Amino acid sequence: MATQSAQQLSANRTRLFKDRFARYGVTAGGIMVLVALLLIFFYLLYVVQPIFESVSLKKVNEFNLPQAQQVEAVGMEEQAEIGYRFLQSGKLEFFALIDKNERQAGEILLSEQFADADKISSFAKTLPVNKQYVYGLNDGKAVVVEPKFNVTFPETASTSATDRVERIITPRFEVKNDGQPLVIDEQQRALQKLAYETDGDGMLFAAAVDGSTLLITHFVAEENFMTGAVTLTPNYTEIPLNSAIDDIVVTPDLRQVMVRRENRVHIFDISISGEVSERDLLPMRKGELGNATGMYLLAGASSILLTHDTGLVSQWFEVPGDEGRQYQYIRQFDAGSPVTDVEVEYYRRTFYTLSENGELNIFHTTSEADLYQGKPAEVDVERVMVDPRANYLLMKTASGYSLFDVDNEHPEVTWSGIWQEVWYEGYPEPDYTWQSTSGSDDFESKFSLVPISFGTIKAAAYAMLFAVPIGLAAAVYTAYFMSPSVRKFVKPTVEIMEALPTVILGFLAGLWLAPLVEAYLPGFIAILILIPTSIIAMAAIWSQMPTNIKSKVNDGRASLLLIPVVLLMGWLSFEISPWIEQVLFDGDARRFITNELGVTFDQRNSLVVGIAMGFAVIPTIFSIAEDAVFSVPKHLSNGSLALGATPWQTLTKVVLLTASPGIFSAVMMGLGRAVGETMIVLMATGNTPIMDWNIFEGMRTLSANIAVEMPESEVGSSHYRILFLAAFVLFIFTFFFNTIAEFVRQRLRDKYSSM
Amino acid sequence: MISVNPTTSNAEKLDLENLSPEQTALSIKNLDLFYGQDQALYDISMHVPKNRVTAFIGPSGCGKSTLLRCINRMNDLVEICKVKGDIELHGKNIYDKDVDVAALRRRIGMVFQRPNPFPKSIYENVVYGLRLQGVKDRRVLDEAVETSLRGAALWDEVKDRLNASAFSLSGGQQQRLVIARSIAIEPEILLLDEPTSALDPISTLTIEELITDLKKQFTVVIVTHNMQQAARVSDQTAFLYMGKLIEYADTDTLFTTPSEKQTEDYITGRYG
Repeated sequence: MATQSAQQLSANRTRLFKDRFARYGVTAGGIMVLVALLLIFFYLLYVVQPIFESVSLKKVNEFNLPQAQQVEAVGMEEQAEIGYRFLQSGKLEFFALIDKNERQAGEILLSEQFADADKISSFAKTLPVNKQYVYGLNDGKAVVVEPKFNVTFPETASTSATDRVERIITPRFEVKNDGQPLVIDEQQRALQKLAYETDGDGMLFAAAVDGSTLLITHFVAEENFMTGAVTLTPNYTEIPLNSAIDDIVVTPDLRQVMVRRENRVHIFDISISGEVSERDLLPMRKGELGNATGMYLLAGASSILLTHDTGLVSQWFEVPGDEGRQYQYIRQFDAGSPVTDVEVEYYRRTFYTLSENGELNIFHTTSEADLYQGKPAEVDVERVMVDPRANYLLMKTASGYSLFDVDNEHPEVTWSGIWQEVWYEGYPEPDYTWQSTSGSDDFESKFSLVPISFGTIKAAAYAMLFAVPIGLAAAVYTAYFMSPSVRKFVKPTVEIMEALPTVILGFLAGLWLAPLVEAYLPGFIAILILIPTSIIAMAAIWSQMPTNIKSKVNDGRASLLLIPVVLLMGWLSFEISPWIEQVLFDGDARRFITNELGVTFDQRNSLVVGIAMGFAVIPTIFSIAEDAVFSVPKHLSNGSLALGATPWQTLTKVVLLTASPGIFSAVMMGLGRAVGETMIVLMATGNTPIMDWNIFEGMRTLSANIAVEMPESEVGSSHYRILFLAAFVLFIFTFFFNTIAEFVRQRLRDKYSSM
Repeated sequence: MISVNPTTSNAEKLDLENLSPEQTALSIKNLDLFYGQDQALYDISMHVPKNRVTAFIGPSGCGKSTLLRCINRMNDLVEICKVKGDIELHGKNIYDKDVDVAALRRRIGMVFQRPNPFPKSIYENVVYGLRLQGVKDRRVLDEAVETSLRGAALWDEVKDRLNASAFSLSGGQQQRLVIARSIAIEPEILLLDEPTSALDPISTLTIEELITDLKKQFTVVIVTHNMQQAARVSDQTAFLYMGKLIEYADTDTLFTTPSEKQTEDYITGRYG
């Protein structure tokens, strides 16, 4: 007896161990799933978070340069090792910004005098991208200078393969027109105000002479075919204005000159042949903004920035209107105190303003963001310039020079910019737009998640419109009316459809179905009408059939009789399609829709997506809903039948009610799948991020957007992080739908199915 | 309370072989039933008298529930089930082609073994059958609810919570609710398929008392595997064995002086 009970004891011990092992195993597995989910969630947040960080400035170095009378401009090369300044006295000085290569910060590396200080009458610079500077002289001539940098990696004798080769940057400069001053004014008048731009070949100067006369000098470059030598042919235009010119700006495409005389801004167009014509005047809103004090061009040269004596900076750009494109007031920024100087970035829409009170402000136009305000070096800022990569800021302050490290990676993104309408350059009105990239570097990125979120909902909605009626009707029929023998092979067949790779559905939809829908559009619409009506008609005919015919077909199999009807109607729809097209749509349905109805028609449209994605979603909805209906206890439906209810009454009044939690789950699971579905929408929608419910136009969904753009986005860029944000939004979408679904399902289950 | 009609008492014995049409609720004539190839009922013929309680007894699998389900054609739901022979209600064979099954079931109600209230309120459960018939008048419905619930001896327990879920009731109450639901549409015949087998003894007793009350208004046919219950509630009893009707007689007669050997063996507990 003792050994027996000992055996029992040891047997119990293994059982206990297995029991515990299973319990801990299951617990650990469950926790890991939760942890994995949370990790995804937090990783997405971690990648997204920097776009909402504010700008920070960190001082790198501080140094002094020899005293100079007046600094016209400062600048630096893209590695932020060497800076330069243009002095009013006509001198360019290069200096080291940091201690490197045996150079001391503040050491003058190269300097050059371009003109006598007393001959210089004006100074101008191009947009940062073109990096050229001009001294205007009092004899009507101008000297154009471009600071340049040579980067070398000299290998010394001691350099071994493992050593890093030191980079050495040497400054140099180039004076345009082979070092000779260009003649801007043939009459040799002093250039009082000067503006200059170049498009690489041609050069455009605009100058004020005699106080109120605008002089536009256009140098057209002509290459000699034989020698290859380039000659500059000047083209002079003189426009007398009746009051003193305050500011002149030239666009880098050399097609526009803007002149400000106090609060009046004139726009002059220059045709390809060099003709100058005055176009319009900015419709000033002096009352709100105050008097204009300065005029600047923003990177990309589409926007004008005007500074005002109220401390406001206003942005203006061309907007298509009734009378062609016209400059219009767009938005304003408040610098707090009147702005004395504006510097723009090389490529982005960020600009830096210096105020009378010595403060630096950093703004971004697209996002309307006020990124920074203050005195980074705690003294008044007099000049500022950013490097081409927008990582460093060189500042001339009242006490010397400082180099700052700027952390301003994502100025164009703000929460409101992503979700609200933004007025982008060249757009007629504020809009929700997604256009992340373009061919040019100074392109204004348009990151609005609204159109792609809308696209996600649109795609899911059209898919559900197609899938829910078919999926649920099929599920109810299979579970409730179909004979068990037919059901036995119908259910697995439909469920196998779920295993179909969506990429196959996607390319079938895009390459086969979309052209077919386009070619047989009336036929497809006929199918949508004919098949349901013919099914109902067939059912009506069948119910009127004599009993001896009906009794030959088992009730559960009568539905198989519909197969030839559906096939026939499908075939008929396609056959009559050209005929309908001829009679109702003047021979071309697509043209009729576009021209007569004014509805845009894309080949890859929501109809195609609805069908293809609906097809992908049907098995999900069918399978879950079928289980729900089938698992309604038989004694419930029998109870209803025993009370004299017809099967249809039993279905609608008892079975569907009891199965409602499951049916609701099925629809929500289908919706969740439609929202997250990628390949079908990617291949069959055309991926146009538009906001329109039109069934004949496509859409771009969050998931497809990520799939399309992630491979081409630069890691760490705003675009990259916005795509992660899109992923996060998608995550929230599905999370939201599933939570709502689960909540409603629980409520329904508590109410209807405590059997 | 349900209006009391003067009816025959338990003591009064009927000639079951030769009932007058006025006394007959239902006549089963030469009924054979097949599940696929297997025959489940063999040549059953009997008359069910009006306003009486008729019990079907027999061992498990003898076909008593199958026979009961034939009476309101619930067997139609079983795909492989085939019926031969007649069941006549007012001289009309219910298996005729032109019979509307739903209408038939309105006249022959049925209560199942397990309480099966619908996932609705108590009130909606009771009026379910009336709503199916398109009754919308609130007063008619209210009246039917009270009458039926009183008829099922449930009114006093639920009258203050008619809008509560039917699932909030106990098993015995649920079964009485199901009976109330069945009698709300005023059927002629009420079929009870082992109505107390899932209930506790006290609920069973309540239901048994209820059955005795019900026969004043309805003809009741009850299937039970509990012989004491058959003896307590029924006026006449049919004993089925292996799909055959062995003996059909007054309950007193059948239990005290069975004429067949198999009946005697069964009621004395030799098998079953």
